[in-house]
Amino acid sequence: MPQPVYLDHAATTPVRKEVFEVMEPFYGPRFGNPSSVHRWGREARAALDEARERVARCLGAHPDEVCFTSGGTEADNLAVLGPLRSQVEKGRRVILSTPIEHKAVLETVHHAAHDGVTERMLTVTKGGIVDLAASDAAIDDSVAVCTVMWVNNEVGTIQPVPEIAERVKARGGIMHTDAVQAFGKIDINVSKLGIDLLSISGHKIGAPKGVGAMYIRRGTRIDPLFHGGSQDRGRRPGTENVAYAVALSRAAELAVEERETEWARVESLRDSLEEGLLARIPDAVVHGRGAPRAPHVLNISVPGTDSESLLMALDLAGVAASAGSACQSGNVTPSHVLLAMGVKADLAIAAVRMSLGSLTTPEHITRVVELFPALIAKARRLSGAA
Amino acid sequence: MSERVLVAMSGGVDSSVAAALLHEQGYEVIGATMKLFCYGDDVPDRPCCSLDSINDARRVCERLGVPHYVLNLESAFGRDVIDDFVTQYAAGRTPIPCVRCNTFTKFRDLLHKADALDAQWIATGHYARTRSGELLRGQDTTKDQSYFLWGIDRSVVRRMLLPVGEMTKPETRERARALGLTVVADKVESQDICFVPDGDHAKVIARRLGRDTPSLSRGPVVLFDGTVVGEHDGYARYTIGQRRGVPGGFAEAMYVVAIRPADRAVVIGPRAALLGRGVVAREMNWLVDPMPVGARVEVQVRHRAHATPAEIVRVDGAEVELALEEPVSAITPGQSLVLYDGDRVLGGGFIERGGAGARTALPVLAA
Repeated sequence: MPQPVYLDHAATTPVRKEVFEVMEPFYGPRFGNPSSVHRWGREARAALDEARERVARCLGAHPDEVCFTSGGTEADNLAVLGPLRSQVEKGRRVILSTPIEHKAVLETVHHAAHDGVTERMLTVTKGGIVDLAASDAAIDDSVAVCTVMWVNNEVGTIQPVPEIAERVKARGGIMHTDAVQAFGKIDINVSKLGIDLLSISGHKIGAPKGVGAMYIRRGTRIDPLFHGGSQDRGRRPGTENVAYAVALSRAAELAVEERETEWARVESLRDSLEEGLLARIPDAVVHGRGAPRAPHVLNISVPGTDSESLLMALDLAGVAASAGSACQSGNVTPSHVLLAMGVKADLAIAAVRMSLGSLTTPEHITRVVELFPALIAKARRLSGAA
Repeated sequence: MSERVLVAMSGGVDSSVAAALLHEQGYEVIGATMKLFCYGDDVPDRPCCSLDSINDARRVCERLGVPHYVLNLESAFGRDVIDDFVTQYAAGRTPIPCVRCNTFTKFRDLLHKADALDAQWIATGHYARTRSGELLRGQDTTKDQSYFLWGIDRSVVRRMLLPVGEMTKPETRERARALGLTVVADKVESQDICFVPDGDHAKVIARRLGRDTPSLSRGPVVLFDGTVVGEHDGYARYTIGQRRGVPGGFAEAMYVVAIRPADRAVVIGPRAALLGRGVVAREMNWLVDPMPVGARVEVQVRHRAHATPAEIVRVDGAEVELALEEPVSAITPGQSLVLYDGDRVLGGGFIERGGAGARTALPVLAA
């Protein structure tokens, strides 16, 4: 079998060599607890402080505005639930979100709604973008938290987060954005935007799984999810994972440094993949096409096929892709994102997401452009026969 | 290049060993676990078909070093199997959903997946065997599952691999231990229908049709002559030959002998009233060339019953009628009628009703 092709960078990425190197000492001689008063503690504290500064620089934030978490999911939970109590005390009881959020946000919003807060959903266009014109009516003085992802993880569409943030801030709400897929793609500078909270994840940008960070604007009141320590100003009790914080900071710096060149490189690969597939499968539908899109995602449905079989066939041929976001038990159901975009269920269950990144080469694209249509032809012959 | 086989893996010992044996024999094994219904909170630790079972199947595949996939067949299974299950109960029958699952879910829907993956073979952990395109009973007669397999398309038999059908259940468990499949080797065997929690099929009917559906509503318990002798709380809770829930106080023990949805009646009678000399089956499926009127076969009207000699007395499209050489107890509409020739499975159908029995030349046995 030829070299396998990994087209699932939106699910996770390999840890970069540069990142692995900088974290290694913290598993060896620099093992200290940053809260300790002694030399080992000081060394660890220095590394943690520096990591925080580096991440802050990448976001245009102050170091004290950066909180390390166990990943994007924790950051999203903290962002949605953390501000609620103080907002509710002010009479604000609405969480505003969109139906195309990652489950880490969506399920947290549902959870909060279960506890008596009202959820309100912004509408999404067929192109997979929050309908800004229709959002004005939804953004009022009752909004406690508004959470809108910056880049959608399934179709790659870029949401008008700065514009929504401006409206939410004008009405006194707290604005959060899940920037897990946006970081390293979009130029992010929180000092110039009305964003109060922003989550990022390490393993999408070449850091290990299990680390993320949240930007928390100065003055934003946040209740912690965990209790039991004063680490990170009490926002995130628990001994800090210094190695991972250092890893995340290095990965974030590299992502920012390479942002423009990687955008151009990955976009041209994605476009040739998209054009190649559409030329060979004329009735294929690329979701979010025509809308502003991040360069690394291609979400494509071919009528008369199903993603479950296609993903298995691709896997057995050495190509890794996914159906929407990776699901825990590995099963496949129509994507809530595509359904929210008005895609019919039979087309939605055919959706295959290919996400490009550091491992992707032009040769990979050439191979998939040859292979995918062949698998499609086979799947259609079979479904025609059935 | 080795031949590719898609193995349906429930996470139980039989299909796990099947996968391991095929892997050992040099096949390119692909494990697949079918997600067939919603795993609600009301089925916390069933030995089969829960999310844990998916994990067990995956662990076995990881151990073998073969890919494992979860296939979501929920909507098709709901339509082909669960809907039919409740419809049959509503019609006063006692359904046998495993047959329809094999016919439609495993050996049709899963087969389509196998086609899509260029897998020539499809394997399961059933206790049955195949020989030159024919289906045979399993080697272990106490475990034989051929009774549930008659509905598959005849052409599919040539593509089936049933490795544990050659073994006894203790041998399978022994093999699982020898292969290091400790996760599954000593698993408790599931006896219930996978989507029926705690064997309470009324719960499934209630969920689909409502608690006040006729088959779960009160009705009369009657004798053959129409005398009402009691009341029951839903005829779907009864099956032919059942004694539990039948009123006492008669000279001899009474059994359910018929279920009449039209007036929601459960008809009871003495043991002798359960005996039948004929049977009519519909949706007849042949796994050999269709057999004519007059052909002599053996039939089985329930799982684990012994086979009875019989003669085909009528063939009418997919409906067949057989005369039994000796009376058989509790012929139950909705269950399978399977035709055998020794170990060979000739075909089968769903029991529509008891038949008239011998009409012509069959010898009348002394009572």
